[in-house]
Amino acid sequence: MINLLSITDFWLWQFLGRLHPMMVHFPIGLLIVALILELVSWRKKDKSFRSGIYVVLIIGVVSAVLSCLFGLLLKSQDDYNSDTLTIHQWTGIATAALAILTLYLFKRSGSNARLLRVYRSFLLLSVAGVSIAGHMGASLTHGADYLTEVLPWGNENKILSDPNFSLASFANATNTLDESQVAALNIEVRSIFAHNCYKCHSAEKSKGELRLDRKDFVMRGGKSGEIINVGNPDQSEMIRRLHLPRADKESMPPKGKTLSEKEIATLELWIKVGAPWPDNPTEKSVYRVAELAPRKPTMPAGSSDLKNPIDKFVNVYFDDKNISWPNVVDDRIFIRRVFLDIIGLVPTPEKINTFASDNHPDKRELLVKELLDQNDDYAQHWLSFWNDALRNDYTGTGYITGGRFAITDWLYESLKSNKPYDLFVKELVSPDKKSEGFIRGIKWRGTINASQRVEMQAAQNISQVFLGLNLKCASCHDSFISDVKLFDAYAFANIFSDSTLEINRCDKPTGKFAGTKIIFEELGSVDSTLTVDEKLKQLADYLTAPKNGRLYRTIVNRVWAQLMGRGIVEPVDLMDNEPWSQDLLDWLASDFYENKNNLKDLIFKIATSKTYQLPSVGIKNENDIVNADYVFKGMHRRRLSAEQFVDAVSSIIDPVYSDTLKVYDPYKDSKKSELTYSRASLVKNDAFLTALGRPNRENVSTSRSSQANLLQALELTNGNKFNNTLESGSRKWKEKFETNEEIINELYKTSLGRYPEKSELTAANKLLGSSPNTENIQDLMWAIVLLPEFQLIY
Amino acid sequence: MNKGWNRREFLQRASAATLGAMTYSLPSSILSSCSSPGIASKADTVILLWMAGGMAHTDTFDPKKYTPYTKGMQANSVLSTFKSVPTSLDGIHFSEGLQSIGNVMNEGALIRSYVAADLGFILHSRHQYNWHTCYEPPQTVAAPHMGSWIASQLGSKNPVIPPFIDIGQRFTVGEAEELKAFHTAGFLGNEFGPFFIPDPSAGLESVKPPVGMSYERFERRNQLYKELISTSPVGEFGSDYQKESLQRSMEQAYMLLKSPESKAFDLSQERKESYDKYNTGRFGLGCLLARRLTEQGARFISVTTEYEPFKGWDTHENGYTRLIEMKKQIDAPIAQLILDLKKSGHLDRTLVILASEFSRDMMTEGRPGATVKEQVAQPDVIDDIKHYGMHRHFTDGCSMLLFGGGVKKGFVYGKTADERPCKTIEKPIKIAQVHQTIYHALGIPEDTHYVIEKRPFYTTPDGKGKAELELFA
Repeated sequence: MINLLSITDFWLWQFLGRLHPMMVHFPIGLLIVALILELVSWRKKDKSFRSGIYVVLIIGVVSAVLSCLFGLLLKSQDDYNSDTLTIHQWTGIATAALAILTLYLFKRSGSNARLLRVYRSFLLLSVAGVSIAGHMGASLTHGADYLTEVLPWGNENKILSDPNFSLASFANATNTLDESQVAALNIEVRSIFAHNCYKCHSAEKSKGELRLDRKDFVMRGGKSGEIINVGNPDQSEMIRRLHLPRADKESMPPKGKTLSEKEIATLELWIKVGAPWPDNPTEKSVYRVAELAPRKPTMPAGSSDLKNPIDKFVNVYFDDKNISWPNVVDDRIFIRRVFLDIIGLVPTPEKINTFASDNHPDKRELLVKELLDQNDDYAQHWLSFWNDALRNDYTGTGYITGGRFAITDWLYESLKSNKPYDLFVKELVSPDKKSEGFIRGIKWRGTINASQRVEMQAAQNISQVFLGLNLKCASCHDSFISDVKLFDAYAFANIFSDSTLEINRCDKPTGKFAGTKIIFEELGSVDSTLTVDEKLKQLADYLTAPKNGRLYRTIVNRVWAQLMGRGIVEPVDLMDNEPWSQDLLDWLASDFYENKNNLKDLIFKIATSKTYQLPSVGIKNENDIVNADYVFKGMHRRRLSAEQFVDAVSSIIDPVYSDTLKVYDPYKDSKKSELTYSRASLVKNDAFLTALGRPNRENVSTSRSSQANLLQALELTNGNKFNNTLESGSRKWKEKFETNEEIINELYKTSLGRYPEKSELTAANKLLGSSPNTENIQDLMWAIVLLPEFQLIY
Repeated sequence: MNKGWNRREFLQRASAATLGAMTYSLPSSILSSCSSPGIASKADTVILLWMAGGMAHTDTFDPKKYTPYTKGMQANSVLSTFKSVPTSLDGIHFSEGLQSIGNVMNEGALIRSYVAADLGFILHSRHQYNWHTCYEPPQTVAAPHMGSWIASQLGSKNPVIPPFIDIGQRFTVGEAEELKAFHTAGFLGNEFGPFFIPDPSAGLESVKPPVGMSYERFERRNQLYKELISTSPVGEFGSDYQKESLQRSMEQAYMLLKSPESKAFDLSQERKESYDKYNTGRFGLGCLLARRLTEQGARFISVTTEYEPFKGWDTHENGYTRLIEMKKQIDAPIAQLILDLKKSGHLDRTLVILASEFSRDMMTEGRPGATVKEQVAQPDVIDDIKHYGMHRHFTDGCSMLLFGGGVKKGFVYGKTADERPCKTIEKPIKIAQVHQTIYHALGIPEDTHYVIEKRPFYTTPDGKGKAELELFA
């Protein structure tokens, strides 16, 4: 065996290797000259150049062969490792072979016209070969983009430095830079590397075994050891070499322009502050990624009058923001709030009075508990929220061709029995016949976009609803709002599929396939060889595992948003956004898990907190709720939902939907409802409910707009449905009550939970006149239920 | 005059009108609107005449060789079941029964090369969804109807006329849920959703006080409402957008319901002579209502022959007989609409479009060459006139008409083959181009989009559609 290493180390071989870059110019030049001479003589049919061409070809061929040999010697002593080199090597060798053949054909051709044509073709091929090999060689020496980088359109893959980057902003930098400073500095450093060093130290070529295009390579250093000494620029090899005089053979960069003072200073600063290089810094905007693991923050000490843990965390937040605790709302406001938030109904005047006159110190806790125990009322309220989220409805697209399945029965029973949330999720992810509708998605007849096949719908919907993660972008192409890749989305969707799905990029098949993978790999790996049912069972277990803090943060944040008008994280479907209190969110999530995933317990904790009972806060503009500088001060006023409004009118005035209109009967045959009307959550969607904001449940929908609009106002002002209800109600009231006062007082008590003010009484009296008729009663009813005081939860 | 309207400035209507400047309605919370600086508009109003159910091009605006019905005839020999009749354009013929429209073709452009999307096994409502939203269902977010995009970008032209009016479609028919899926503003929000007038002769009911309520009583009721708001102890709630938007919307509704413009919705105000010209049924009266609303400043109006499975243009049998009826329904009112708009001067700034989700053929289902599950059994030999007609769904060559709004007059665009399958052979035009062409006429830039769930959602997929400028004068 020949010891290759000792051979390549021999000085003569090294020397000859380094002659390669010089030698290559001979075959390049000479073969091209031969071709030019051939072209000149070809037209003139002149043979006088023939002997000249012969000599040129001979030298060309010999130098080509030598170039190849020297090139191989050079390769063995330097650290080339790219495809470019492989192509360069083989085109070079092929060119040498072609050149030899060309020379042979030249000798044989003489005046044989056919052979002459063959020879000329080969000469042309040789020149093409030498050009390609030459270009590849130049790319290796000068960098792949040496030619293109001066073109105005040739800069796409460069890491762009920020023209506004200023070292001065780091003047007082210590080891504690904030996130954005770190990102800015790192981008700047990588930009310097890219422009000055990648030519020799990146994926194409790693001189001295050094690469500067990735964090791990930079930290590892090269053949002669580490290049940076973190924290000490003076002792870093890289900085030493940058400062060396140009004549020194160790000076960097070895040729071309040196780095500017500012660039060197930037690198020194970067090393000094610890050479920060965030993981995955694919571009300048580094996406915030929320922690996956659960975390239980320690309970703040706080003042003794705050018993509820929520209040203790909010107290810390308030202290930090210099907010002092306002007084909690009075009993009348509180009872209306909890009634609407927990069971979706308005309290009766009797209930309000009893509650207000109750002197029990724990009466608010008792009331919340009492409401949570009204299982059917509770279920019929929260049914709407979950129908929106799980896009479950009684009518909708897909049913017509058997492409959709309702889960109402399962959902209602789950809410009514307060099914633990982990079990709730498990039964949706790994369903039986009653709950399969959620992951089966909506299937329309015909061919559909690959990103909307039902397996991908399942992946998207589970990500959105349970994990607060948007997978929609990534199901068509690599996401540009997060780090989720197309591959990840398909790997997740494959869990729901009985065969591996072909990856489609923007609806075009790629011929590639992903395995099976949960978006958050840390949760566990799903065995791709299992059946769909088995895979789903695994997935359900992994998703609900205690280590999946994200599942629990997502649900507590949703419930918080339902009761408070805004999530701790907002929007509630983007759980990577920053919470206004990480501690509160984390504590709620951990506590929720520890309390056996008990949703009612969570609602109880929130509704009995002092935080929940603070006076409501108004918002000037709907956009303010998602502003980056949002400050929490208390629950936000919101419009009654379509269902809350309709149920309130049904209970106070007259049924908007009669009992016979419900499409889902929760009482079956067992027990009859005490209500004389059907709750709006149990009826089909229609134009009235749509106008009031009930979504068509074609897509997951987890929040409703609180903004009123013209179409809604028109439905309420002249729509038949609403008008008929009021008309029928006014007739009954006319029968029931004698005087103006009775009617006015009753309306104010039942609708607004209070007696009218004197001025209100006067205005109402003026309308009703001396003796009330049905028309006037109807108009008074209309005006009162459209008052903001009736329309808002405050 | 082009009156812009910003809903937030509704109460300052008078001043807004005199400003004459275009102010755009603002989208709500999770959305942000983005587009290039405006381009000069050629139209202020769009009227879409929707031929619901699939209108056969060879039996309407692109007739081929006529083969009259004879018992025992070969199905494959039939390209058109009607004679061709000349139009006001040299060398251009329509199918018999469309002479009135033919007579006004010198006012508009004829597209004979619309190629509908290839969506496999045919479901009308999916193709209709695609035509109206420019996206193929299902989508990951609720895609807005073209009318909602226009409403969101331009707002009302006249503050008391809703910017998107949908005439003629009821949602009590088969496939109603699928129809609802695209008759929506989707993520743009209900504010820009369609204002439905299912029955044009009852249009006034949508914009007047509730049935049985006099204007005096309506006025009194509103007076009380205002009084109660001002005396109610709302002070403790301060001011917020929910309350403000509620009051503003209520005020707006009130103004619409008592405005003189609301008379435009009342067809009984139309001169009898004129009314009769339009009165071919609900579609004809829809055209009349569209004309009246256009004159009062509507923005986007859709008038449909109404989709109902196996009814109207959805001819699964008796195609020939049915089309005689359909042509009677549409021919006179459409021609009259064009003539009336021209006469009143509104045609210059009003773009009228006639379209259908796809065409029909006797033999080919879907697209030539594609395997699409067939839904209509067509005997090779026709022994019964009920099999004489274009009964299969055909996507590769459909006709469209465009009038007004800066469109070339007397212009023919594209061509289909004269032999079966009579598919598009010149200048195929697809839905994204159609949408951009309409937006172009209105001055809505091609890259108009909303950011929903942090990603841009364009008026046409990826914002790639290009307006067909050749159609404009």
